[in-house]
Amino acid sequence: MNKILTVATSELTTLVRSKAFLISLILMPVLMAGSIVLAQATRNATDDRHRRFAIVDYSGRFAEPLQMAAAARNEASGGGRFDPVVVPVDGRTADEIRLELSDRVRAKDLFAFVEIPASIADADAREEIRYYSDSPSYLQLPQWLRTTINQLVVGERFRAAQVDPQVVSRLTRPAGMSNLGLLARDATGGVTPAEEVDEIRAFAVPGVMLLLMYITVMSSAPQLLNSAIEEKMSRISEVLIGSVTPFELMMGKLLGCVSVSLLLAAIYAGGGLVVANYWGYGNAVTGGMLAWFALFLVMAVLIFGSIFIAIGAACNDLKDSQSMITPVMILVILPLVTWAAVIRAPDSTLSVALSMFPTSAPFLMLLRISIQPGPPMWQVLLSAAIVAGTTVLTVWAAGRIFRTGILMQGKSASFAEMLRWVRVG
Amino acid sequence: MTDAIALRHVTKRFGAVTAVHDLSLSVPRGSIYGFIGPNGSGKTTTLRMIMHIILPDEGEIEVLGSRETRAARDQVSYLPEERGLYKKMTVRRLLRYYAQLKGRRRHEIDPAIDEWMARMQLPGVLDRPIETLSKGMSQKVQFISAVISRPALLILDEPFSGLDPVNAQVLKDAVLEMRERGTTVVFSTHDMGTAERMCDRIFMIFKGHKVLDGTLHDIQEQYGADTVRIRTALGRAAFEGLPGIESINDFGQMQELRLAGDPQLFLQRVAARTPVYHFEITRPSLQDIFVRIAHPGEPGPGADGQETEGRSEPVAAAQ
Repeated sequence: MNKILTVATSELTTLVRSKAFLISLILMPVLMAGSIVLAQATRNATDDRHRRFAIVDYSGRFAEPLQMAAAARNEASGGGRFDPVVVPVDGRTADEIRLELSDRVRAKDLFAFVEIPASIADADAREEIRYYSDSPSYLQLPQWLRTTINQLVVGERFRAAQVDPQVVSRLTRPAGMSNLGLLARDATGGVTPAEEVDEIRAFAVPGVMLLLMYITVMSSAPQLLNSAIEEKMSRISEVLIGSVTPFELMMGKLLGCVSVSLLLAAIYAGGGLVVANYWGYGNAVTGGMLAWFALFLVMAVLIFGSIFIAIGAACNDLKDSQSMITPVMILVILPLVTWAAVIRAPDSTLSVALSMFPTSAPFLMLLRISIQPGPPMWQVLLSAAIVAGTTVLTVWAAGRIFRTGILMQGKSASFAEMLRWVRVG
Repeated sequence: MTDAIALRHVTKRFGAVTAVHDLSLSVPRGSIYGFIGPNGSGKTTTLRMIMHIILPDEGEIEVLGSRETRAARDQVSYLPEERGLYKKMTVRRLLRYYAQLKGRRRHEIDPAIDEWMARMQLPGVLDRPIETLSKGMSQKVQFISAVISRPALLILDEPFSGLDPVNAQVLKDAVLEMRERGTTVVFSTHDMGTAERMCDRIFMIFKGHKVLDGTLHDIQEQYGADTVRIRTALGRAAFEGLPGIESINDFGQMQELRLAGDPQLFLQRVAARTPVYHFEITRPSLQDIFVRIAHPGEPGPGADGQETEGRSEPVAAAQ
């Protein structure tokens, strides 16, 4: 055990003394915060380009109101303007008009054009507004046109039916809704009122917990692959195996990796809690969540660390390891591509299944724990047991691969050979 | 007391290739034991089996009286031919780390580090990363990392390769000092002169078979005094056409010949042609014996499946 701790201590001190670690320690939260701020800023940023579009109104009733609506919108928004141009419907065919306007769009004289059919106001006719442009990903203008023209059309329909649109507006005003938690009875027998759902507690906290675990695992575990290859190719492993067994060496490196990830998590989580407390969200993360976080983090690091160190021991250079890493990366990104679905429906069959799948369970079960009210305790315990079993299995298998591979020179091993080493030893 | 190393009928195969065949040897405690052999003969494989880095397919290996892999691990230090040092680590951290892996405590290690750094003439580099050291310096650091834990057995694979004469001498002196402290030293080398001068016993392996095992004196006795060292005014040209010469080793200023006939008659014939400045009848050098055994084209011992010990068949005489 002493030798395992000696190796682990060396791994930990080597990493935390490195400039790369210190830089990434500071840079990571800065980059994360910066990207969130940037996303928010750009989401709300106004589009300052003017969009000139043509209106071809076959009904003859909506071109002018549409122009007025555009003027009102331009005055209110202060950003890029919508500049309508009315195209007269003369004796030309519809296709001739469309072709001419399409050419004008290509020539950048117009950004788009919209056709309003003649019987658009006839509800039974089921006509469609047609929008033409060369920029299919730009949605602001077509969305505004759809909403605005529909408002005008519906208003016209009510007028035709001699129904006052204002009465309709008043009568169809939707009722608001508050999203609340549950009431409870307190110790004195009184009622604790339901609290309004806070989006930050509901979504941000689970998301941050997942992201924090993901970042700490991926900051530490893949380093074991590089470390194993370096030690193998520079014959350091031969010197080390003269002093420790392959299993002691591997366990020392894994424990060092666990220490690094716990240290990273403690620093980030500590900083996060200070900020959360400042903004009044200090109690959003409970002691239970942190305990499960630590447990699942340790097991995730051991699982992925074992996989990476086994690949490193079986390969002779980084290039050879790339092909082996691909299937591992699929397992790695699985939690990231599915977390949104789990947040939306944490008790769905998919969410339950993913929080039991060995490699995604540490991340997604933690996510479910962080979402109120949390999963049933039996699911949490079952997931922890599955992950613990997977941890033991991967460490054992990695030990067999590491023992053979770390001193092997020449050709890198294939997956089939690695499996044989696991079976035969 | 048991031998430091005892191999009994050890065989190691890599696929269809037998790297080491039915090898037996004993290394007495407290001795300096030289491993020699051509490239690819099985030296490093044998050393790695002794270190339990790889396991034999047949036979037994005892190290410091134990067959148990772990028992002797802390008492044995190994210096591989290709140096294994962490480039980014400082010298001090590396030496502490390797010593701690041998079970030494910090308070024991630091004084020993200072002593050895002075001994190996490496002042002022303790806090420098390994990658900033020259080749010679890093080799000396690796040597220190192997000896700092005061091992009972020290195994060095080509420790002097690539070193300049000054650094090589420093290392040799350190090896001799280890022997004086009671450490058994086994080292492999291509430098026959060093092996002759330093080793108590010499072991040669060729194509996986043991071909020599004994003291230098015993080995040379097997070949007899059939070697002449001569320096003449004409150099090699002085012997052109003379009978009885089996091989010539030309060192430029001096030649070493293996003679089949009477050396006195040979001297007369040469003296008749040119002035002779130096003439010495001697036993073959270890280099000469090595070349005789490992000359290309020789089938090698054990071609008929039998192991040979001591003298191998003489190589064909040079023309």
